[in-house]
Amino acid sequence: MSGHELHPLIKQLLDGDITLADLPAELRAEGEAALRLLAGVDRTDVSMPAVTWRVMAQLERRRRRFLPWLLAPALAIAAALVVWLVPRTPAPASLVTVRFVLVAPDAKQVSLAGTFNQWDPQATPLVRAGATGVWTATLTLPAGQHQYAFVVDGARWVPDPGAPAIDDGFGRRNSVLTL
Amino acid sequence: MITLLALPLALLSTQQGTGIAQRLAGRVLPQIASLVEELGTAASARGLPIDPLIEKAIEGSAKGIAPERVASALRLVAMQLDTAAAALRDGGLDSDTLAIAAGEFAITAGLSGSDITALARTGANAAALTVGLRVAGTLAALGVPPAEDIGLVSVAMRSGEPGSALLSLPANVQSAMAKGATPAQAAAGLARAAAAQAAHGPPPGRGGGHPHPPAPPHP
Repeated sequence: MSGHELHPLIKQLLDGDITLADLPAELRAEGEAALRLLAGVDRTDVSMPAVTWRVMAQLERRRRRFLPWLLAPALAIAAALVVWLVPRTPAPASLVTVRFVLVAPDAKQVSLAGTFNQWDPQATPLVRAGATGVWTATLTLPAGQHQYAFVVDGARWVPDPGAPAIDDGFGRRNSVLTL
Repeated sequence: MITLLALPLALLSTQQGTGIAQRLAGRVLPQIASLVEELGTAASARGLPIDPLIEKAIEGSAKGIAPERVASALRLVAMQLDTAAAALRDGGLDSDTLAIAAGEFAITAGLSGSDITALARTGANAAALTVGLRVAGTLAALGVPPAEDIGLVSVAMRSGEPGSALLSLPANVQSAMAKGATPAQAAAGLARAAAAQAAHGPPPGRGGGHPHPPAPPHP
């Protein structure tokens, strides 16, 4: 650009605020020349795809660089939630050996069912000691609280007469063993 | 971000449901399994243990109980777990599933939420409180009234007795009962003895004597 300053009225003409007729006679020639110059200017949109691509690529790189930092806290919280919520394997409990005894002279078969054997009446049979009608079983159980009952002849659920008992919720009694 | 946080929760819920179904497979009727899954998932979301529900369902099925009655028993267990958890929270202990299960057992045995809160307020840690609740429940099952029961177990817990001493309380009460004491008298007598011992320190030969553990036995 040269240091030539346009007359304010010529600027107004170029801006479309006034017409050639509004210019004083001494400025009309200059005004016409300015209008010719303006008409010769290529007003089509300037397209710079390479520049646009480079700028966008740079922004994308920055976004990628920051993405791990944005995701890291979320991933850390998610991992912590998994660790906190997933049931932990309990520490191995100490074991205690217990002898169960039931006097049932008329029974043909006695077994033990409880929380320690998934209440399976077939899992833990008692052994009859001679002809006295005393049935016994010795189990090694983890320390904790257990509930159980004897099952006589596969059908009759009998609480242990020598142990405390609680309501089983079904109208019967469960014996309680706290180790 | 929210998706990432929701993922482990959804994963856990699915895992929980599958775990319940696996444990009950072939053991209980399908409608009981569905109910346990429903109650168990809801309980788990509230930080409650699910084992008491699974065990009750299996027990009901093994005993040949009608499904409607098993369902009622399961709903009662779920309610008692809630009561136990609330009582423990009131006593200052939050979300310990073993303590909550022990509290549920104590309620089944005849204790109340306020009894559980009273034990929680002894300041014992979760493991000691779990043992205390199991012992208190067992004493209630022996017929010890709640006041004497909680009195005895609280004194024993506060005196810092080892777990084995706490666990021997039901047998000690049974011994006293065998000699003619009522459950209340037996528990009150043991509580007085424990309080006197706590006031005068451990008897000679017990506690504080050996800073080093004993040598292992010879092979």
